[in-house]
Amino acid sequence: MKRNIRSNAIWLAIMIAGFVIMDGLEAAGLINTFIENAIVTVGINIILATGLNLIIGFAGQFSLGHAGFMAIGAYATGIITQQIASPLGFWLSMGIGIIIAIIAAIIIGVPTLRLRGDYLAIATMGASEIIRVIINNLKITNGPAGMFNIPQYATWPVVYVMVCITTIMIANFVHSRAGRAVMSVREDDIAAEAMGINTTKWKLAAFVFGAATAAIGGTLHASYIQTIAPGDFGIMNSISILIIVVLGGSGSLTGTILAAGVLGIIDTVLQNFGTLRMVIYALALILLMVFKPGGLLGRWELSFKKVNKKKGAPAE
Amino acid sequence: MSLLNVEHVTQQFGGLTAVDDVSMQIEKGELIALIGPNGAGKTTLFNMLTGVNTPTSGKITMETAKGTVDIAGKRTDQVAALGMSRTFQNIRLFSEMTVLDNIKIAMTHKSHENFIETMLRLPSFYKTEDAIDSKSRALLKDFNLDPYVRSTAGSLPYGLQRRVEIVRALATKPQLLFLDEPAAGMNPEETADLSAVIQRIRNEYGVTIILIEHDMSLVMKLAQRIYVLDHGSMIAEGTPAEISQNAEVVSAYLGGEVVAEGK
Repeated sequence: MKRNIRSNAIWLAIMIAGFVIMDGLEAAGLINTFIENAIVTVGINIILATGLNLIIGFAGQFSLGHAGFMAIGAYATGIITQQIASPLGFWLSMGIGIIIAIIAAIIIGVPTLRLRGDYLAIATMGASEIIRVIINNLKITNGPAGMFNIPQYATWPVVYVMVCITTIMIANFVHSRAGRAVMSVREDDIAAEAMGINTTKWKLAAFVFGAATAAIGGTLHASYIQTIAPGDFGIMNSISILIIVVLGGSGSLTGTILAAGVLGIIDTVLQNFGTLRMVIYALALILLMVFKPGGLLGRWELSFKKVNKKKGAPAE
Repeated sequence: MSLLNVEHVTQQFGGLTAVDDVSMQIEKGELIALIGPNGAGKTTLFNMLTGVNTPTSGKITMETAKGTVDIAGKRTDQVAALGMSRTFQNIRLFSEMTVLDNIKIAMTHKSHENFIETMLRLPSFYKTEDAIDSKSRALLKDFNLDPYVRSTAGSLPYGLQRRVEIVRALATKPQLLFLDEPAAGMNPEETADLSAVIQRIRNEYGVTIILIEHDMSLVMKLAQRIYVLDHGSMIAEGTPAEISQNAEVVSAYLGGEVVAEGK
């Protein structure tokens, strides 16, 4: 019990310290719009990728439909905050986005989670495309042109707090009875069933949870960038979230956070290289996968319970 | 009323009848062996009893605290929750997880943590987790697996993996435990350890055990009653002494005229 309180206190201290440092740098004028933009993007990527890691890394269900759920959150916010332009409208839109994403995830998950591996990947990819095509053809979403002038309520502190909340929720889910059930499905679903675990239920739980966090990421994205179009939520977007998960190590939340940070830095630094940027980026990925096939951290997690080892990863 | 009642079950896969009109009664506290040549339908029968397959026809009922329950048509996890657990012919551990986590997973359906408790890390959550943790450790200690608590299950030697799998099945608190060829691939020393483990589970934990086994010395030593399957049909039932004298059983194993006549 004491051990748990101490560990939780350390995490809280790290989260507060992160906020104070960021706030201090902002106040000192060391962070310009460009850097803030990069940092917020990393934060949103952390939210999206930890959710996808829950589905892929922990539950072992290879989903390529994350961008679809992100689109739901983004459009919910785009539509609602243009009508109710207040912080209340923003939080309401986030809630509604989450609820719609959960419903969509259940509708998509029940039939597709029976599939395995590549079949599931294709089915979820298709489902996400259906969401995108629907958005593309609706009047309320302004079709292919997308939505502009979405009021900006997702400032960096809002994003920061949401990163902390979603990461804590996913970490708490993983380190519990639910997490063990979900991981047993990944390891051997036949054995899991024989141990009394309702594999369909737990697969769906992870999928729905992941979808809900994707909707949160979408909400923040729409409100921070202020412009969204259906093209922002295509397959490539799902893949770029997947890259973060695989790079960090599927099955490691610490890895996901680290990878989102590393990729954010690489991306920002390479801005100056123009077209060469994508080549270097791709090369970096290939080299990493060759030398570290399990991802940066494999399944390793930063924990303050066993050894009090300090490592510079963002809040979890 | 017997603990498990199997009445005239048949399992057909297309034109193939894998199990044909089999009946058996298992009483509480018994240690039963199911034997038969390869392809006789033993594992298929196990799969029906544990809810993996639904029988084509016939009835399987189990006595539980809540009365008689029909097994046929239930999902595997529901059957497991009723108090049936099993091990697999080819070991199916959660091999990349620790031995401790393997045991904890088996306790999942008996433990209750709700979503809010889990998310907010309420004291009740830690209490449940600590209880699961100490129960798992005690169970592992009881079977001398405490040195391997933190080891990855897949990294253990074969004999120990078997033992972990049996202990994991036991962690679900079953009334009935099915062991599918537990001694396969074991050396004599490991087999001796195994038979001690099986006997302890029955005597100290009061679990009824049904095992499929090819190692006849183990079967003769442990089993109180033996059922013999051949070509999907139950050809004999009796005590080890009776079975070893049974002409039909002997010919089923060695091949002979009696089998052809039996058809």
